[in-house]
Amino acid sequence: MAKKLMKGCEAIGEAAVKAGCRLFFGYPITPQNEIPEYMSARLPQVGGTFVQAESEVAASNMLYGAAGAGCRVMTSSSSPGISLMMEAVSYMAGSELPVVLVNIMRGGPGLGGILPSQSDYFQATKGGGHGDYRCLVLAPSTVQEAADLMGLAFDRADHYRNPVFVLGDGLIGQMMEPVEFKTEIRPEDLPAKPWATTGCKGRQPNIINSLYLAAEQLEEHNWHLQRKYAEIEKNEKRWETYNTEGGCDVLVVAYGTVARIARTAIDEMKGGPVKVGLFRPITLWPYPSEALWETAEKTGKVLTCELSCGQMVEDVRYAIMGRKPVTFYGRTGGVVMAPDEVIAQVNQLAGASV
Amino acid sequence: MPTVNVERDRCKGCGLCISACPTHVLAMSDEINAKGYFYPYMEHPEECTGCRFCFLVCPDTAIEVENKGKKTEIPEALTEKPFHYCPGCTHGVIHRLVAEAIDGLGIREKTVGVAPVGCSVLAYDYFNVDMHEASHGRAMAVATGVKRGRPELIVFTYQGDGDLASIGMAETIHAANRGEKITVIFVNNAIYGMTGGQMAPTTMPGQVATTCPLGRDTSLAGFPIRIVEILRELTTPAYLTRVAVHTPKAINAARIAIKKAFKYQTEGTCFSLVEVLSTCPTGWGLQPTESGDWLEQNMVPYYPIGDVKTPEKGVLWPTAQGQQSETAR
Amino acid sequence: MHNEIILAGFGGQGVLLIGKLLAYAGMKAGREVTWMPAYGPEMRGGTCNCTVVLSDHQIGAPVTKNPHGLIALNLPSLDKFEDAVRPGGVVVVNTALINRLPQRTDLVVVPVACNEVAKEAGTAKAANMVALGAFLGASQIVDVDLVKGALEETFAARPKLVPINMVALSRGYEIGTALVPAPAAR
Repeated sequence: MAKKLMKGCEAIGEAAVKAGCRLFFGYPITPQNEIPEYMSARLPQVGGTFVQAESEVAASNMLYGAAGAGCRVMTSSSSPGISLMMEAVSYMAGSELPVVLVNIMRGGPGLGGILPSQSDYFQATKGGGHGDYRCLVLAPSTVQEAADLMGLAFDRADHYRNPVFVLGDGLIGQMMEPVEFKTEIRPEDLPAKPWATTGCKGRQPNIINSLYLAAEQLEEHNWHLQRKYAEIEKNEKRWETYNTEGGCDVLVVAYGTVARIARTAIDEMKGGPVKVGLFRPITLWPYPSEALWETAEKTGKVLTCELSCGQMVEDVRYAIMGRKPVTFYGRTGGVVMAPDEVIAQVNQLAGASV
Repeated sequence: MPTVNVERDRCKGCGLCISACPTHVLAMSDEINAKGYFYPYMEHPEECTGCRFCFLVCPDTAIEVENKGKKTEIPEALTEKPFHYCPGCTHGVIHRLVAEAIDGLGIREKTVGVAPVGCSVLAYDYFNVDMHEASHGRAMAVATGVKRGRPELIVFTYQGDGDLASIGMAETIHAANRGEKITVIFVNNAIYGMTGGQMAPTTMPGQVATTCPLGRDTSLAGFPIRIVEILRELTTPAYLTRVAVHTPKAINAARIAIKKAFKYQTEGTCFSLVEVLSTCPTGWGLQPTESGDWLEQNMVPYYPIGDVKTPEKGVLWPTAQGQQSETAR
Repeated sequence: MHNEIILAGFGGQGVLLIGKLLAYAGMKAGREVTWMPAYGPEMRGGTCNCTVVLSDHQIGAPVTKNPHGLIALNLPSLDKFEDAVRPGGVVVVNTALINRLPQRTDLVVVPVACNEVAKEAGTAKAANMVALGAFLGASQIVDVDLVKGALEETFAARPKLVPINMVALSRGYEIGTALVPAPAAR
């Protein structure tokens, strides 16, 4: 298929359709409205259903119902809306339902602003809702990757029976880039889900549930979930490195949009006295800690850049375990850092080490 | 001669069967069952007419009536698991009516029930169909997801007054207004049962609850919410009705309404809601046998029984009888 | 080759559209492209701009502090971005709505009365096309025929609009090439 110039939000919608998703429940919020708008027009063309819910709370519970009924289903929202969805996310994690949620992050806390941000890292990777649970979190940095990761998100959600977050920001959502959809899955070709509430013809009734009133039962359920999460940690870590061959003076760790900005900074510093590399996690949970350390081991210093006041940096420090100095540079509130700023930070770090 | 068989260890000794019996056949034994409850027996078997009232009112499916070779039956759409509800709580009656409707329409194998948070949180143990738990208030949103994803299924929710009329009010109004093709069983017992008797949006004026110990003060908490009358103002929903389950006669009417609400869905008609006035002897601080009278005297005048809207006739009583008396208060 | 261009005007002038045409043409030319709009409250009645990056290698930042080129359709846009343009950058100034020229002397300034030229071509609404044409003529960053193809595809649902926009684009292109006959020299 030929490449098409598409907005990140639209590419996310089309990628979901190509992944066999025929159901979307959502509620409008900037800066991701192009996703529900796209789906409201696109899904009826392929026999799918779009419902604009009365709230994010309702939308996420519609996901809960549809995922329980065995359907490929998604929603998208932005930070404050995702907070409202956390109720159902916890329930879906507890009842082990495959579902894809897209968060096109904007600045917070509270109503915050509508400009790009990465300040929902904690919410996505450390819980957000109540209880001991984990979601696979994928962070695209290009429109093509956003499309590719949507397919992966649905696939992995089904495979592990677990919610998956695709964590983008306003830049990824609003930006247009060429995109190519490499595969197309028809819903009827998806593997059956024998656990789903599809009517109990010829079998015992299925129950979608996260309630375990006996402590021992709930504990066992939790250990079961933890074993699954351990499996995800083992299999699903994804990352990319740039300009790190043979080690570097400063390793920038960044994801999503900021990784692109860091890349520009690195290109501009090529041929200069300071060698700079990039480590870009693609999965934010599970975090590619071992790979990060392997890269950082051959590095002088580590600089974490985020559009937040410092969230992912905690996972970077956890991976580095004090073996290298880790510093943080962040812009927030919707301010997007420029490559110059990254260069200045890198130079300052490198200079300090000389 | 007709026989009443009591499955002794299912019985919770509520006595509803004894007071429902028109010919005073039944009496409470002075022995206790495995659960520690007294249970009824046929003291005057010769008086039994086989009317089945005892079967109808029994909230624990503990009674079987045998007459002329025919036996009352427990519907297939119920599991055999004994209900956890308190003695005399009419949830069990409503469960049975829902299961009878499912059996009667032959839809058990394509039905999905949604059980929310409240006393009926364990309903998935009792209905012998695919069941989906919902978080508090979100049953209709979950049902929307199931039905939109699989329109061929018959989807129902079973919700209490706190769930449907308080925390889930937005989901209620909007599912009704979108005309989701689902069946909603709304159990209104004027109190929060599971959490221990707190005030509900449907608690009666002056009614004592643990969060209104001096009685519901309408100047602070407003008047009880009448759900079917609120939904009547929406153009979309098809079938809105209110029934009760405090007498054998009321139970028979409720059975018809609940079956209709499912039948409409099988015909593709949108949104049906049956509000069922139900008792909560524990929350109300009354004997099970007193609770029906309390419901009749206090709830029925405020929550009038009958159809409010039907797909055939539309809105039935746009200026309701109860309406004026309330505004005059 | 790596080009970062800012296209700016007020809402309704069609700067996002010409940005898309430029990116689309760049994609057709086999280059990496990004198109990034400024979004948010500033869209409502204020200035409106987008950044287009065309590159021969993978594009990092989709936004820029120092573009290689600028199309300014109104005065606030010129005021905002003039200082940011890299030395030697092509700056199209819509003199129909901007009553001054850039003060800097290290820019390749292309003054075009876009609205008037568009009006002559058939509709003042195509001022954005004139500006894009002039920018292409002066910068030659992408083949004008690819932009024309992009225009045809973009307006596929409203084919009536194609000829008039095509004329406006061509007129702008002629003006651009006439004013800057040897862009390769830069």
